[in-house]
Amino acid sequence: MSPIINAFAQGIKKSGVKPAEVCVPSDIPFEPNVVKQLGVDYFHTIRGRAIVFGTGLKLANPALKVVPVVGDLMTLGGNHFVHASRRNMELLVICVNSFIYKKIGGKSVPSTSPVFSLYSTFEEPFNIPHLGNSCGAIYTARWTALHTDELVNSIAEALNKRGLSVIEILAPGPDYYTGINNIDSNLVKFYHKNSEIKNNEDPRNVGIMPDENIVVGKFTDKERPTFIDVYNAQLSKVIGDKFTPYGPVPTSRTGAGLGTGKNESGGKDG
Amino acid sequence: MKANPRDVLTGVHYIDGDVAAGYGVLAAGCKFVAGYPITPSTEAAETFARVAPKGNAMFIQMEDELASISAVIGASFAGVKSMTITSGPGYTLMMEAIGFGAMLETPFVLLNIQRGGPSTGVPTKTGQADMMQSRWGSHGDYEIIAISPDSPQELFDYTIKAFNLAEMYRCPVMIMSDECVGHMTEKVVIPPAEEIELEPRRLYNGPPGEYLPFKPDGDFIPKMVKAGAGYNLYISGHVHDERGYPVTNEEFKSVYLRRLVDKIRRNKDKIIELKEENTDDAEVIVVSYGISSRVAVRGIEKAREKGIKIGNLRLVTVWPFPDEKIIDLAKTTKAFVVPEINYGQIAFEVERCCHGRANVVLVPHSGAGVHNPDDIYDAIVFAAKEKKKIEGIVEYKTKLEKLVFEGGFKLKE
Repeated sequence: MSPIINAFAQGIKKSGVKPAEVCVPSDIPFEPNVVKQLGVDYFHTIRGRAIVFGTGLKLANPALKVVPVVGDLMTLGGNHFVHASRRNMELLVICVNSFIYKKIGGKSVPSTSPVFSLYSTFEEPFNIPHLGNSCGAIYTARWTALHTDELVNSIAEALNKRGLSVIEILAPGPDYYTGINNIDSNLVKFYHKNSEIKNNEDPRNVGIMPDENIVVGKFTDKERPTFIDVYNAQLSKVIGDKFTPYGPVPTSRTGAGLGTGKNESGGKDG
Repeated sequence: MKANPRDVLTGVHYIDGDVAAGYGVLAAGCKFVAGYPITPSTEAAETFARVAPKGNAMFIQMEDELASISAVIGASFAGVKSMTITSGPGYTLMMEAIGFGAMLETPFVLLNIQRGGPSTGVPTKTGQADMMQSRWGSHGDYEIIAISPDSPQELFDYTIKAFNLAEMYRCPVMIMSDECVGHMTEKVVIPPAEEIELEPRRLYNGPPGEYLPFKPDGDFIPKMVKAGAGYNLYISGHVHDERGYPVTNEEFKSVYLRRLVDKIRRNKDKIIELKEENTDDAEVIVVSYGISSRVAVRGIEKAREKGIKIGNLRLVTVWPFPDEKIIDLAKTTKAFVVPEINYGQIAFEVERCCHGRANVVLVPHSGAGVHNPDDIYDAIVFAAKEKKKIEGIVEYKTKLEKLVFEGGFKLKE
C-alpha cells in the first residue's frame, strides 16, 4: 500500500491541487494509517459506497477534489461506478486491485484474475478501464504499484481532468496470501515483470487474462461535459435568464461552500 | 437564524402533503437532496427538484436508495443541509447507511412517506408499519429522532423542525409520514421567511491543529467543520476516539457509544413534542400518531358525547419515545387505546411503559386504508367498561376483521 500512498502524495503535489481541498472517501479494504499524514480529508465509508459518498461531497461543494479510493469497486459499488461514469461526475476513482480482499482473508473479488485464486474464483474478471470507458469515463489508466513515475503522472493528470477518471492500480496484497494464490511471494515484482506498457491501447483489449501479459498504460483521455455542465445547460434552457448556474466557490476555512459566487450567504448558512 | 426569503414560498397554498414537504425542505435551507423515485413519496422529490434551482440547491436522482443516502451523508460532511426522500422498500435499502450516519453523527433528514408493506405491499396506499424499523433498523446501538406529522401543514412545519433537530443533535432525523397525509390536499399556510427560525450548522472556528471532530462540546454534541477546509479530517464508521481514529478496546467503545445514545436520551425533554388534550382526569386515553391521530378524533368525539372521560395524547415525536409521559399517565388512567396502521408497534411501547398499571388496547389495521372511526370508538367503550387488569396487550378486532374471521364476509371483486 505504501508505494501507492507515496505516488498519491506526489501526484497531488505535481497536480498543483492543495491537499486540503482533496477529499478521499474509501471503503473497506483501504484504510492505511499513513493517510492521516497526507493533509487530505479522509472518510472511511461503508462497503461499496465510496463513489456515492464522494458524489455527495462533490455536489455539495463543487470546489472540492474528490478521490474515491476503492478496493471492491466491482462488487458492492459496481453499479455506482457505472452510473458515476455515465454522469461524468467529477471524481478520480482509484481502484486498488490487490487481487484479494486484504482485510477479510483470501477471498477473491470479481476483479481478481482467475489465475491468482485457484479455489474460489472461477469467472472472468472485469476489465475495469474498458467498463469505465464504455460507460462514459473520460480518463482510464492502469499501472502496477511499481510503475511509480507513470502512476504519479496519471494521478496528477487525472486530478486536473473535468469528469470521471479511473486509475486501476495492481498492488500486492500481504504476502500471507501469495501461497493461497499460488504465485511468487514477491507479488509486486511478479506484476511488474509480467506487465507490458501499451499507452493508448483500445481498452477492449486490456482485460487481465490467464497466461497473458498484464497490459498497463494510459488508455483513454478525452473530454465530455460533466454532470454539473449538463445540469446547468438543461436548467438554463428550462428556466431561462432567472437561472443562476450551480458551480464552485473558492474554499475557505469558514465558508467552504456551495453554490455560485452570486450566493450572497457564501454557503455560511449551510 | 432566519430563513432566506428566496427559499420561502410565503402565502396560502392548497397543496398535498408531499408538495408541502418539498416546500418545507427548501424553506429549511436544505441545499442537497438525493433520491430515487418511489411511490408514494415521489411528488415530494419532484417538488423539491422543481424549486431547488430557486434556492441554489441541488437535486440529483441517484441510481438507487443505497447511493442516495450515502450521497446525502457525504453532502452533509461537505457542510450543507441534506436529505433524502423515500418509502418502504427504499427505506429498507437505506438501513446500513442510516447506522453509518448515526455513527458519524451526521445531521441529515429522511422523509419516509410510508406505504402498505411488507415487501412491495400496496405501493399506492397507506401504512404505518415502518415505525419500529425507523428506531431499530440498522445494526448496533444508536439513537435517532422520528417525527410523525398528521397534515400537509405539519409536513411543511415539521420538515423545518426536523432539519433544526438534525443540526442541534447531530443525528439523522426521520419524518415518518404516510401515504394518506402525503396525498391529502389541504390548506397550507407558509409564513414569511422572518417567522421561520432555522438552526445553522454548529461549526468549529478554532485553529485546525486543535480540532477534534468527535470531542463533545459540553452538551454531548461535537462541533463540525466543512470538508476541504484544511482540518485533515479522519472520519470512520469504526468506533472511534475523539480524533476520529478507529479504536477497538472496550473502554473506548463504552465511552463513545454511551455518548452516542445519551446525547438523545438526556435531551429527551427538549426533543419530544406531544399534543395532549383532557388527559388529566381521563379514564381512557387514546395514544396515536400520524394519520391515525386524525381518524381517532371522530372516535374520541363520539365517546365524549356518550359521557366517557376520554383523553387524547398525540405523539408528534415518536422517537425518542415519551416513556415518562406514559408512565405518569398510567398512574391515573384506566386504559390506553392505541390505533395504528400495523399489527402492533407503538402499542407495545405504550404497554412497556404501563407495566401492568393500565390496560392497553391495540386497534390494529392492515394498511391500504385507514381505521373506521367506529372501531376506535368501540375499543374506547370496551376499555372504559373493562374492570379487571388484563396482562399484556389486548388486540381489538375491528368490524372488518370480525366479519372476515367470524364469517359473513365476502370479498368484493
